[in-house]
Amino acid sequence: MFHTKKPSTMNSHDRPMCVQDSGLVLTTDPKPRLRWTVELHERFVDAVSQLGGPDKATPKTIMRVMGVKGLTLYHLKSHLQKFRLGKQPHKEFNDHSIKDASALDLQRSAASSSGMISRSMNEMQMEVQRRLHEQLEVQRHLQLRTEAQGKYIQSLLEKACQTLAGDQDLASGSYKGIGNQGVPDMGAMKDFGPLNFPPFQDLNIYGSGQLDLLHNMDRPSLDGFMSNNHDDICLGKKRTNPYAGSGKSPLIWSDDLRLQDLGSGLSCLGSQDDPLKGDQIQIEPPLMDSGTDLDSLSGLYETKPVHQGDALDEKKLEASAKIERPSPRRAPLAADRMSPMINTGGMPQGRNSPFG
Amino acid sequence: MAMAIDGAQFELDFSSYSSITTTTTPTTSTENDHGCNWNDWSPMVDWEALSGAQDDFQDLIDSMMDDGALMNQSNRLTPDTSNSMSTSDTLLVDEETSCSDDLKGLRLVHLLMAAAEALTGLNKNRDLARVILVRLKELVSPNDGTNMERLAAYFTDALQGLLEGSGSIHSNKHLSATNNGPYHHHHRDDPQHHHHQSDVLAAFQLLQDMSPYVKFGHFTANQAILEAVADDRRIHIVDYDIMEGIQWASLMQALVSRKDGPPTPHLRITALSRGGSGRRSIGTVQETGRRLVAFAASIGQPFSFHQCRLDSDETFRPSALKLVRGEALVMNCMLQLPHFSYRAPDSVASFLSGAKTLNPRLIAMVEEEVGPIGDGGFVSRFMDSLHHYSAFYDSLEAGFPMQGRARALVERVFLGPRIAGSLARIYSARGEEGSSWGERLAAVGFQPIKISFANHCQAKLLLGLFNDGYRVEELASNRLVLGWKSRRLLSASIWTSPSDPDL
Repeated sequence: MFHTKKPSTMNSHDRPMCVQDSGLVLTTDPKPRLRWTVELHERFVDAVSQLGGPDKATPKTIMRVMGVKGLTLYHLKSHLQKFRLGKQPHKEFNDHSIKDASALDLQRSAASSSGMISRSMNEMQMEVQRRLHEQLEVQRHLQLRTEAQGKYIQSLLEKACQTLAGDQDLASGSYKGIGNQGVPDMGAMKDFGPLNFPPFQDLNIYGSGQLDLLHNMDRPSLDGFMSNNHDDICLGKKRTNPYAGSGKSPLIWSDDLRLQDLGSGLSCLGSQDDPLKGDQIQIEPPLMDSGTDLDSLSGLYETKPVHQGDALDEKKLEASAKIERPSPRRAPLAADRMSPMINTGGMPQGRNSPFG
Repeated sequence: MAMAIDGAQFELDFSSYSSITTTTTPTTSTENDHGCNWNDWSPMVDWEALSGAQDDFQDLIDSMMDDGALMNQSNRLTPDTSNSMSTSDTLLVDEETSCSDDLKGLRLVHLLMAAAEALTGLNKNRDLARVILVRLKELVSPNDGTNMERLAAYFTDALQGLLEGSGSIHSNKHLSATNNGPYHHHHRDDPQHHHHQSDVLAAFQLLQDMSPYVKFGHFTANQAILEAVADDRRIHIVDYDIMEGIQWASLMQALVSRKDGPPTPHLRITALSRGGSGRRSIGTVQETGRRLVAFAASIGQPFSFHQCRLDSDETFRPSALKLVRGEALVMNCMLQLPHFSYRAPDSVASFLSGAKTLNPRLIAMVEEEVGPIGDGGFVSRFMDSLHHYSAFYDSLEAGFPMQGRARALVERVFLGPRIAGSLARIYSARGEEGSSWGERLAAVGFQPIKISFANHCQAKLLLGLFNDGYRVEELASNRLVLGWKSRRLLSASIWTSPSDPDL
């Protein structure tokens, strides 16, 4: 609180004053102190806000902006410090401050002071809001960009798969795009998931997408990755493509429904340190007779299906939570991490945390 | 497996080794083999026959293998000179199970370092190198074992290539014929030549998924580009190595979804294409172009695609570029995985010097971060390279510890060739070119462009999606560096043409 700022009428300290030529009011103590009058303080606050807030302003720049003769860095330093402290609510409230608070109450009735105080508070709030907003923007953009990349990769892999399947048929080494001709031949393979195994980190982004993946556990096949046998190159798009433009932006959990979906799977969220470790997608070998040595292939991706969604989600949530909280903290319960996101995402506060 | 490679410690070892120029009394027994029983580790190899006239080396190797202080069972095994299978079988098993991974890994590092040192020595040492490499091959495998074992396999391979290539790195010599490593199945100059297309595809996708390396470079560059061309109506990007064009999908998306500002600008991409037989990417540049055109159409991005051929020696000629007035010119140079551009440093150099004449609005440079060069000797740079890729392997493993096969594939398709290539470069350059591309850009006069808060924030977010061990540092106002634990791996830097045309 600005306990230095007292109108002369409320001054509890009796000090002889003298007014300088520059309009500054100094005491005539052996150590002259500057009296921060209402007008002076108002100029001070103006200057500070011009410079971008109390954290950005420095005594030197304030001095320059204020342009008041006789005002020294010393004055400004201490006043700025008090100003900064004063802007923080619930900072030490000692008796002195309370007294000042009452003084302030009186002052508040005066026209000039109230605007100043609320303005300062607003600035600080706005600063925080701005940062938060920007981080959210970045998060959102990252999400969209990753999606776009994924979509593109999807088309790349499909084309390549088709080409390769075509090779299989043509029994030649050249890579010619055979377009749709290759597709019917791979009809059998259409039952299998796409080659484009979604990026692990993206899996936790798509709430419902994950569940779809869970449903399709028996289908997707990555075995084709490893073998030279083209038969195993997977294709088809039976699995719901999480990249299909549904316009979802799951990073911002604005969809209550999706959250609900996650809830069931996320109940086992624990305090895993690194959720991605060991929690991968289970790909079972395709049903068809591949004729390849699947031994080396089936173990490509392993997972505990139930946890697949959770763990990745937890990672994702934590990533998001990290934005809200600059100090990295590994809260044992995901619920803790969920709440800031819920708040920011504009979700109802009283939402039942789906996590255990 | 975390390998703590203390450079100072190794230098000490190294110096003590090099002081042994003559042989100690040759001994055919394994008395010096303190508990490690080198012979028992490789029962198949008749060491006696192999060493033959090189008895003197065995001691050296044995002394290197001497980890007596660290071994639990030092006196268990009696020296067995006959390499009999019966006793050594059980001993071998016991030995292996009781050796810790770290111990073995350390041993591998010692051997690798010794081999590297031997390679830079005289003829006599080259024989030693050969011998060491044989030993190494017995211990390592590119598909199984720990990170260090797999990594050492590729380093062994690379050293082997250096040994036989005898300094001709960029030649088209077919080295495959001379390779005795059972897993060395691909031609060094064209790593993908012998890789099956499906493998390359799979490895590519896996690399994207398992690590932030590719995305980090793309997204950082794209964000900088977006900021630099915020008010432009036409953008022209010259991409040094477009590969599949994945980077541009997200850029296009960003351009299309700009809320405020001018309407979606027209984007033109010129991709440099290489002649020659070696195909670097999964498809051709034309295919990439078609794909990008289709994608742009699908999201409503005005787009056109061009190709610009490099010379036969992959030199870039700015004059071959078609420029349009009023375009904001951006040069994009991605050199990190999975790009294979490490093979042609002169080409990259020509690209950057060409950029100088074109005065682009922005140059985005993403490259592997090299450690401090030190005295520039081959061995120290070799060790630095070992450290570098070891961190890489560790990062992949930390994120996906169960997916050994997947990682092995990525290692085989991308990392192995890269290791071989970068070692070859180090071997030939040997201290001549120690600086990074970013440093060279600065030296030539390009000005740094500050990495924005949003860009930095994006990078941190991206890494947060992966493993905790990744971190991003802002080493300079225009440079973000991606690192794994304490090792810096990738550097993304942003530059612009100097405002003074006389520079």
